[in-house]
Amino acid sequence: MDRKIWLMSPAVFLLLCFCVVPLFIMVYYSFLSDGTGGHWTVQNYMDFFQKDIYLKLTWKTVKMSFYVTVISLLISYPMAYVMVSIIQGGKNMLLMAIIIPFWTSQLVRAYSWQNLLRDGGLLEIGLRKLHLIGSGPLGLMFTSTAVIIAMVHIFFPYMVITIYMSLEKVDGALVEASKSLKAGPLTTFRRIVLPLSKPGIISGCILVFVPSLGVFVEPRILGGTQGTVIGTVIEDQFFEIYGWNFGAAVSFILLAIILLSMAVLSRFAKEEA
Amino acid sequence: MLKKGIGWTYAALVMLFLYAPILVLMAMSFNASKYNALPFEFSMRWYRELAGNDKLIDATLTSVYIAAGTAVICVVLATMLMLWAVRTNSKLKRWIDSLVILPLTIPWLILGLSLLLLVSAAGIDKNFMVLLIGHVVVSLPYAVLVIKARLQSMDLTINEASASLGANEWTTVRRITLPLLFPAMLAGGFLAFVISFDNFILSYFLIPGGSSTLPIEIYSSIKFGFTPEINAVSTVMLTATTLLIVLIATIMRSSLKFFLK
Repeated sequence: MDRKIWLMSPAVFLLLCFCVVPLFIMVYYSFLSDGTGGHWTVQNYMDFFQKDIYLKLTWKTVKMSFYVTVISLLISYPMAYVMVSIIQGGKNMLLMAIIIPFWTSQLVRAYSWQNLLRDGGLLEIGLRKLHLIGSGPLGLMFTSTAVIIAMVHIFFPYMVITIYMSLEKVDGALVEASKSLKAGPLTTFRRIVLPLSKPGIISGCILVFVPSLGVFVEPRILGGTQGTVIGTVIEDQFFEIYGWNFGAAVSFILLAIILLSMAVLSRFAKEEA
Repeated sequence: MLKKGIGWTYAALVMLFLYAPILVLMAMSFNASKYNALPFEFSMRWYRELAGNDKLIDATLTSVYIAAGTAVICVVLATMLMLWAVRTNSKLKRWIDSLVILPLTIPWLILGLSLLLLVSAAGIDKNFMVLLIGHVVVSLPYAVLVIKARLQSMDLTINEASASLGANEWTTVRRITLPLLFPAMLAGGFLAFVISFDNFILSYFLIPGGSSTLPIEIYSSIKFGFTPEINAVSTVMLTATTLLIVLIATIMRSSLKFFLK
């Protein structure tokens, strides 16, 4: 076979032993009754599916990720459109400016919203100056809304980039052709530009929706008692309650949800293509 | 004209949303008040206290060591892997491509805890070796993608030219491929450094008792009570990583594509 196979073996060995094998160990733990010992059981999964609270939290996590994705799309699409069609000079600078925060600490960026969102914070002061709110406290901090705002802030930059890439590829001649056939700007957008930018929209949605399902830091910092999601349930099992086997089962369920939603979204992309 | 105005205004608003929280955090690190209270009063107090906070400095050093180790290992592994990938037409290649991006699709929360379970199944204590390996696993895909982007934009016939001039394979790699690849290796290394330095979740699961990294310190002081130096240390952290990212982008200007998976 390949003489140079030793070149790739360290990386492959590392990924197999420390990424693939641990996932199987996680599945193994999820079927044990007590730590590394005990007996084989499906009780951990039964616990999850029989208790309303966990199903509710799962639904809440999915719903929250969905909101984050939709809001990100509503922000990102116009932004990418503006960057492709209106802004001429300094496009690369603007792209850089959008992507730089994406690579900085998520933890710090989540925390940075505290200054703005808390009662008596800058947002409250600003809104009051504009007479948009009364004298009561803002009441945004430690709510699901605060978590969603921060998550949009953290995840949307990538979506701008993927949509930008697909919009850039739209052939200007098609747009001209549509215009010359007397289509209005809205029709041209709906029938030409939007369908052609669908791959960018879908990969952007995957890049926002999938990581949103697995968050736990943002809800912890900004969500208070409303900030319980699947991710925080898993964290609790490992750090507070020491229910490792149940935690492993919930993690496996989360992983299944993630793989399922990736499959559905990319299937959607293929159908459109 | 009107269209242009609306477009620029919209772009400016998005930038405001993106940067306002970060800039406010940075400004607050210079605010004298202990509770981020307004009105703003300029002070360097938190930076002075930061300089005297041994716990935070120790944690920062730990983070730097781990990130540096991660960067070096990632560059070596990624370069070797790509030198193989570029020369082979093995059927394995497709599998290995998916294996390399696997850590990007699994949430770090799940990767972290599955490594913790690995440690417990092996019956050993949490240690820095496993922590470092965890950081390498999550940073490796990025280093690979950067180096791959460079290799794809490189003219590979130059390797054949070298071979036809009688250079053996090792000489070609050493004198032609590696020097051309060097900027990407540098950029990939810096990127791996940044990913590891910022990484909270894996460290949180795998850190040995009694030790700590900078993100862990930041998280615990946010969670368990307010430490005003956190604004200052976050500002330092954001500035440092931003500078590194700008540096990476400058090195890789020719293929900005690498930012995209």
